[in-house]
Amino acid sequence: MKIYFHLSLEGFSNCYVVTNPETKTALIIDPGKITKEILEQIEIDRYSLEAVLITHNHESHLRGLSTIRKIYKPQIFAADYEVAGNDTQVLKGDGIIKAAGLTVGHMSVPGHTPDSMVYKIGKVLFTGDALSASMLGTTNNAYAEKMLLSNVHNKILTQHDDTIIMPGHGPPSSVAAEKLFNLSIALRPVTGL
Amino acid sequence: MFSITSCAHPSCQKSALSYYDADKDSLLTHEYCYEHSPKAAEITNSLYEYIASHDKIVGMNASGISFANMDLSGKRFYGCKFLYCTFMNIHSEQLRVRMSMFDFSMFSDCNLLQSNMQFTSFAGSTFSHVLFTNSDLVHNNFCGITAYQSSFDDSDLYNSRFIRAVLNNTSLRNCNIKKTAFYEITQDNVSFKLSNTREALFSPEAAE
Repeated sequence: MKIYFHLSLEGFSNCYVVTNPETKTALIIDPGKITKEILEQIEIDRYSLEAVLITHNHESHLRGLSTIRKIYKPQIFAADYEVAGNDTQVLKGDGIIKAAGLTVGHMSVPGHTPDSMVYKIGKVLFTGDALSASMLGTTNNAYAEKMLLSNVHNKILTQHDDTIIMPGHGPPSSVAAEKLFNLSIALRPVTGL
Repeated sequence: MFSITSCAHPSCQKSALSYYDADKDSLLTHEYCYEHSPKAAEITNSLYEYIASHDKIVGMNASGISFANMDLSGKRFYGCKFLYCTFMNIHSEQLRVRMSMFDFSMFSDCNLLQSNMQFTSFAGSTFSHVLFTNSDLVHNNFCGITAYQSSFDDSDLYNSRFIRAVLNNTSLRNCNIKKTAFYEITQDNVSFKLSNTREALFSPEAAE
């Protein structure tokens, strides 16, 4: 498995291309914008784009979906019926799917949006806007914040400490780092200064 | 890149180390993590050899290994894992790093001048006498770092995060800190002189 990171300048969202060199298949997570570089990555190595995973229904994370649909015929995985088309599998709750020859775990973490979904491939979590480096996703009200915090505690922080977090915005992180430094999760650490 | 293979030791979920097979000239995955490897010294030497003989290093997991007295000038690291590593007396110019993890590592007496590091995580790491002067450090995770007598001068730190960092006698002079988050940092004798502090984020409330 190889993961390639692309920054979408519209909305500053992170898009990931995950390839499986053994089967020559690929999937895209959160296509904020389909750029020449993304297409070249797929085409030059002759990958077959088999799936698109959407973490939540926000424009900055799925604007490129219409471009993808014009070029390829991948299966779309999302948890919101608004994103859905004939090619979409609407995910509910937690489970495991097969995409591009990879085993992909999906976990529902509503709070930032009702359809927020976290995907796990190998030891990497694609958290969308539910969790980014040291920050919890934004929410509209206290109830949503409480629900998101509970979901993050139960589903993300219970993963192994070395699990890498690839968020929808900002730099990468790890579960161990979030437990210690996240503003909404960790208590203020005692420093020697 | 980011090996899926876990350590073969019962109940250990850490990622298995990489090792260099000189005969095949390729980077392969070992069975164990550094802690449980019966051949840790041999694996370590093979990774030193790989780094010395290759300029482009992709998908290496060297977590737990110590690196000392090395010159990494011009090396390029992509999708590598260096969790809980120690870097002592490392010199480099124009080091290039993409999407790599250095969480909870220790950097001591390192000159990493004119580095280009993007989408990389140093969360929880300690920097003592480390110079990043004149570097591109865009979109990086420096949350929870502890920095002593270190310099980020003349660097581009755009969209990086220093949340809950402890900065002691550290300078960020003449830096681009647009959208750089410094929430809940502890600072002692830190200089932001000539940096665009108005565009940086010092409290979550101000950002909203």
